[in-house]
Amino acid sequence: MASGTDQKAIFEDVARVLSTHSHTQAPIRPETRIGADLEIDSVEIFDIVMELEDLYNISLPVEAASDIDTVQDLVSKIGQLANVR
Amino acid sequence: MTSRRPTFSSEILSPTRALVDGREIILAGTNNYLGLTFSEAVKSAAIDAIARQGTATTGSRLANGTFREHIDLEEDLKTFFRAKSAVVFTTGYQANLAAISTLAGRGDHLLIDADSHACIYDGCRLSEAETIRFRHNSPEDLAKRLARLPDEGARLVVVEGLYSMLGDVAPLDEFVAVAHEHGAYLYVDEAHSVGCYGDRGRGLAEELGVLDKIDFLSGTFSKSFASIGGFCVSRHPGLDLMRLVSRPYLFTASGSPSNVAAARAAMGEMMNGPDLSRELMERAHQLHAGLTGAGFTPASPPGPIIAIPRPDELTAVREWNRLLEAGIYVNLAVPPATPHAKSLLRLSVSAAHSEDEINTIISAFRELT
Ligand SMILES: Cc1ncc(COP(=O)(O)O)c(C=O)c1O
Repeated sequence: MASGTDQKAIFEDVARVLSTHSHTQAPIRPETRIGADLEIDSVEIFDIVMELEDLYNISLPVEAASDIDTVQDLVSKIGQLANVR
Repeated sequence: MTSRRPTFSSEILSPTRALVDGREIILAGTNNYLGLTFSEAVKSAAIDAIARQGTATTGSRLANGTFREHIDLEEDLKTFFRAKSAVVFTTGYQANLAAISTLAGRGDHLLIDADSHACIYDGCRLSEAETIRFRHNSPEDLAKRLARLPDEGARLVVVEGLYSMLGDVAPLDEFVAVAHEHGAYLYVDEAHSVGCYGDRGRGLAEELGVLDKIDFLSGTFSKSFASIGGFCVSRHPGLDLMRLVSRPYLFTASGSPSNVAAARAAMGEMMNGPDLSRELMERAHQLHAGLTGAGFTPASPPGPIIAIPRPDELTAVREWNRLLEAGIYVNLAVPPATPHAKSLLRLSVSAAHSEDEINTIISAFRELT
């Protein structure tokens, strides 16, 4: 959870949630592209974001969600909002 | 069976009938909820307006495009919705674009239902406020997200009354309570619900007893009002400020005299004519029960929009074509225009549908199974 969590722990949460939505066998790494590599579309990404928002008790603005391309983008954004390094 | 590409054009005959390729069909997907497009009162008001004021305004509301009738229409809206201020726009799309983008600015927060119509999303994009989505029709999720916000800045919650794709309605009474408890304003787009719900079609907020607590209510003249145009009304007096700063209000020509006259006449029919919203709901119940009896499972309880989820897009397209061959037009709704990537056959009911027409629609669906 948010307090005392570092980027690595966030990555693990993100990877776990993404793996249940992925449509491909592509491995989930920081540089993996959510749309192009995992074939997750923009509607599904919103559901994924909502799951992660609940987990970290944050709200990710729609404007920020549209900037997310890779797994690392999502991890960094969550890190910023949850105030962890 | 070949599947015709689902484009559709027709020669309109009445609120519920059209010619397609020379064949008469029943329309069951028009948003013409009250059937007023062919009302004698509405048609003659539009014709008379053209005769007296010409075919167009040729200018913006701020310049030469405000005729006395635009102001009369705003006064009518204030009376109808018991509001303190009202602004009329050229379309409902522009009403949402204008109102949302001017009501919330930099440093403010917009909280919108996840299943919001495209024009609400576009209004948020045009605004400099930060936009946060909450789970569809969930006052609990909204409360959680409002509680997380910083204290600074204004908060505007945006929901719809009747949702256009699945035909479900919002718990507006609960949204009012949650929004106001957290110091937020509530904005409700009643594009589909005005005309259908509430006393004399005043909308869902009126039906749920919270009309006087809604901070901003927007709508369109393109559905129950049998015209083109949009509006925003408010229980607060300050809405008029929008006229000076809102780009979708300023940088476009105003509604034509016939559009304005038709909307006013339709509102007059809603208030003083036969109770069309009651007739509409009777037909809606008849169609809902019939489709359920035929083995279909509508997405929502009986209402003017009846959406039938189909297992996949191909089935939906094939069935849409078969219905058209059987003389029935419904809306085909497929991703990404639909929530949760659903493929839908979407029907909208009209007070102008006869009982027989509803039975014919039900029979055509029965033939699909
Ligand atoms: C929920 C909602 N809001 C606004 C609009 C826009 O209305 P108009 O057709 O007047 O632009 C629509 C119409 O499709 C709608 O469904």
